[in-house]
Amino acid sequence: MPAAGKSRAKTPEKGRRKKGAARKRAAPAVSLAGALAEAAWAEADAALAEALADLDEAQTASDEAARDDAMAMLAQSLSRAARKRGLSRQGELGARAPYDPARQVLDDAGGRAPKTVRIAARGVSRGAEVLCPIRVRRLRKRRP
Amino acid sequence: MSDWTLCIDFGTAYSKAAAAPLGAWSHFEPSQVRPLMVGGHEPGGNAFLLDSAVFVDDSHVLLGRAALAAANVPANKKRMALKSFKTLLSVSDLDRALNTNAPLSVDPHRMFQMRDLIVLYLAYLLEAVEQASADDPLLTDVSSISYRYAAPAWRSGDSAGMHDSIVRLFGEADAFREAVGEALLAPEGLPLSLIERALPKAQAQAQPFEMGLIFEATAAAAYTSIGLEDAGSHFIVVDMGAGTTDIAALARLGPRTMELPEARVTLKQAGDFIDQVIANRVLDSASWARSTADRSELWNVLMRQMRDIKETLFADGRATLRIKGKQISIAMRDIEKDADFRLFYKGLSEAYAHALAVVRDDADARGRTEVQAVAVGGGAAAPFIQDLIRKKAVRSTPRVQPRPATPDWAHAGEFRGNLAPVFPQLAISIGGALAPDGMLAARSGSSPAATAQTGTPAAHD
Repeated sequence: MPAAGKSRAKTPEKGRRKKGAARKRAAPAVSLAGALAEAAWAEADAALAEALADLDEAQTASDEAARDDAMAMLAQSLSRAARKRGLSRQGELGARAPYDPARQVLDDAGGRAPKTVRIAARGVSRGAEVLCPIRVRRLRKRRP
Repeated sequence: MSDWTLCIDFGTAYSKAAAAPLGAWSHFEPSQVRPLMVGGHEPGGNAFLLDSAVFVDDSHVLLGRAALAAANVPANKKRMALKSFKTLLSVSDLDRALNTNAPLSVDPHRMFQMRDLIVLYLAYLLEAVEQASADDPLLTDVSSISYRYAAPAWRSGDSAGMHDSIVRLFGEADAFREAVGEALLAPEGLPLSLIERALPKAQAQAQPFEMGLIFEATAAAAYTSIGLEDAGSHFIVVDMGAGTTDIAALARLGPRTMELPEARVTLKQAGDFIDQVIANRVLDSASWARSTADRSELWNVLMRQMRDIKETLFADGRATLRIKGKQISIAMRDIEKDADFRLFYKGLSEAYAHALAVVRDDADARGRTEVQAVAVGGGAAAPFIQDLIRKKAVRSTPRVQPRPATPDWAHAGEFRGNLAPVFPQLAISIGGALAPDGMLAARSGSSPAATAQTGTPAAHD
């Protein structure tokens, strides 16, 4: 744009910027954690909505191949929703692991505590917070 | 009443800002990190992101999300929003680029130079930052805030000239912001008549904006190492963005952080290149898409969904998509077999090995035993980038310690799990706000040439 005539420059405060007095107003009661949650949810919502639609397709699939396809899409949408909310899986599905009652839930109540178990369902956590513990099963004894 | 530092990350697609108290580096408390809701005035979308876009319509200039919405209206299909203008700021002759006229498709009135449109956007960004900081309860009573901006290390080598040009642009933007105030955030945009009246005056009377410069790699080192007992002195940062993959090495010498310039490598393949590899592999496997029209439609669908496809592929090793009733799966190993990808990965590995050797030599010469490796940017989660920073080195010392893309402190209880999912998008602004002055490449009013790169001979310290 064509330049205007030079006018007298104001001198800014060196290295600092004062907050405008007019802008000093009461801050709204929106917590940072709440606003961050809303930002993360905006994207997770879309993935969760897709997961619900994929679930319908899986439940009404006419054959096994179509059901497998729909289940693959459902798993992907759910994983995406979980990622957007900062959830992560713990453990390796089907792996043998030492039994740790603090982090794992055994699927039966009877008998002595096993030394080693198999992971039946991975746990879910957000940061250090465990939202769903790892589900484990006893190892089957080999037949002689 | 305390002093705070505020860092603006002027991004290619979005701009972000975060603030932290001045002493955050030495007395770190995660709860005092304040990402700002710069997009809070716009309904819908992520309140922490401000779209980087400018659209000139018949009578107004629209900014941010409103600009993108206007550009998508069918009646405006012959016009374009000005986007990705951050890339303009890294050209070798910045002043010349700024003084060129905006393309006719962007400015049908032939009123504006590129400089004018960037100044208008920066004014909008500064006003959004001002409003967001006024809305933050921890910042309401703060007496003064010092400003910084984050930028990639200049590739032209003229760091002093670039920084001076940028602070001048921000100065013009601030003068314009003071003249028009909250009108900048009006959803209908700014009337052309108002701009015609106020912008030349503001540009004429502007003073350089008082703000420091922090390199993006340094900001990454700051958020990675803050609060750690074993933070270390040397860093290698792999930053895979959309257009380039940058590898940088940093050394903290006492209170100062400096770049090791001989380690710096920029590759022209990055996120956009990976998108094309993925899309081409899908096209090759989609036997039903043989006509040009089908292939073109498939390409467009893939590009629209690419962010989700890539994220799933990186996280799960496989992504499935459904297009026109057809289900297509693509695995990470398909990408790794691609000839173009293999060539890119070879170049990336060599560049990383070179930079790592430089930073380890420097650490070794200074008697340090560890180098921190961190991946940032959109490609940080890519398995091949994570493999790179976790790769066992042939030499055992100095040890290379890979750090997570999202630091542990982002999972702190006070955020109730809500910062970590959005951290990668806000990371650079947060790191820039947390970094102590010694990490700046340029302070207000000082040339960055003397502080940005180390000329300090390596010796035990």
